[in-house]
Amino acid sequence: MTNLGVIDCDIHHNIPDIKAIFPYLPRRYKEQIETWGPLHGGFGHNGGRHGRRFDAFPDGEQAGSNLDFMIKQHFEEYNVKYGILTGEFSSAAMVGDPYYAAALCSAYNDYTIEHWLEKDQRLRGSIVIPYHDIAASVKEIERVGSHPQMVQAYVLGGAAHPYGQRNYHPIYEACLKHGLHFAIHVGAEGASRNATTTGAGYPSYYIEGRAARPQVFMAHMASFVFEGVFELYPELKVIFIEAGVFWIAPYFWRLDQDWKALRPQTPWVEKKPSEYLQTNMYYGSQPLEEVPNKALFDQMLEASFAKDRMLFCSDYPHWDFDSPKLTFPKMEKSLLDNVLYNNAAKLYGLPLQNGTEE
Amino acid sequence: MARHYIGTTDQFPVGEATLVQVGGRKLGIYRFDDDQFHALLNYCPHQGAELCRGPVTSWLRSPKPGEFQYEKEGEIVRCPWHGWEFDIRSGCMVVDHKVRTLTYDVTVERFDVSVDEGKVYVKI
Repeated sequence: MTNLGVIDCDIHHNIPDIKAIFPYLPRRYKEQIETWGPLHGGFGHNGGRHGRRFDAFPDGEQAGSNLDFMIKQHFEEYNVKYGILTGEFSSAAMVGDPYYAAALCSAYNDYTIEHWLEKDQRLRGSIVIPYHDIAASVKEIERVGSHPQMVQAYVLGGAAHPYGQRNYHPIYEACLKHGLHFAIHVGAEGASRNATTTGAGYPSYYIEGRAARPQVFMAHMASFVFEGVFELYPELKVIFIEAGVFWIAPYFWRLDQDWKALRPQTPWVEKKPSEYLQTNMYYGSQPLEEVPNKALFDQMLEASFAKDRMLFCSDYPHWDFDSPKLTFPKMEKSLLDNVLYNNAAKLYGLPLQNGTEE
Repeated sequence: MARHYIGTTDQFPVGEATLVQVGGRKLGIYRFDDDQFHALLNYCPHQGAELCRGPVTSWLRSPKPGEFQYEKEGEIVRCPWHGWEFDIRSGCMVVDHKVRTLTYDVTVERFDVSVDEGKVYVKI
């Protein structure tokens, strides 16, 4: 493995119990939770144990809820230098009551700041926003966006409308105002008021929805390009997490080809779609597809612009965790260094190490 | 190949792995219902998880959708990360026998101990 170490761009820290966020929650919602439970969700079947690695539960506590345990089991084991926390709480955005959804997101963000970011300077945070409510999302970004360790606003792939559409643009303006990126993590497809899990409807089994995640990300990616988001906000960086990798190349081949024929319908899109991929989008490495042979793997990495766009994500402590030591077939050192460290260091403004080109 | 003493039979419950370290290697020792012992290297050949921290389960099959049959009860370990299923007797991944982790012979001697318990040895 690389001697630069690892920047892990998808770490799911958790709260030990819903009551952990009570200090940050208005009385109304504390009482509501005590009476009826948290009433937020959005996830169906999963793998592992409750979606987590069997070995990631520290002495009966929630997986991901104990900083010291995480440092020992993950940071020390894999030489993780910095971690981007993505949390476990975006399902709060799926709550129908918009005031409650916003309160949950705020409480979780406050908890993350106090119990994680301010306890370990290697950590960076994602602002969980109640994204079905644009105004409330902007308000939350304004509220905590200036915290020096918050690096991005964070939503799930499951949405009511593709993320390039105009109604979302105030969120991107708020992100840019605070120097934040916008990260989309898979999850909640087909849940609550979101669009269906697949384009053909709701499947019966987890494996089907899981494998259909690229469909959802495809819709978001094309939406960003063709709604002209990167023309309007050329500085905006969008990060796509956990829908895999190697479908991206042929998808952008299709978009590039059709853009040549259909360009006049969206003439504000001045460049080939794949050029926006190379300037404004990043994607997480996990879950990396197991490619049948090394030659194909190398070709897919190159076709996906992995050298500059791929960010290592472990998904710790979730069951489909990818090990930075054993997930990748052998890679050229400079490429591996970029994926495991440099790409994320540049994107998130973390210290570059010796020998890295600016 | 050397024989290493790892404990008496009562120290190995049925239905879960007992993790031991022998000759620099981490092993999971499994005791089946019939008092046969098996040892697996505590390493998943997929991504290096500690395989023996995974749940001990059965091989679930189905003659048709919606019907379930359980075979090899207590003889399958699922990797604690990605859930790949390994046959504890052979160390082979059940759906792809080419993928396997190492297994070791375990013997039980009942001399010099009570009638109920024996001394357990693993060969490495």
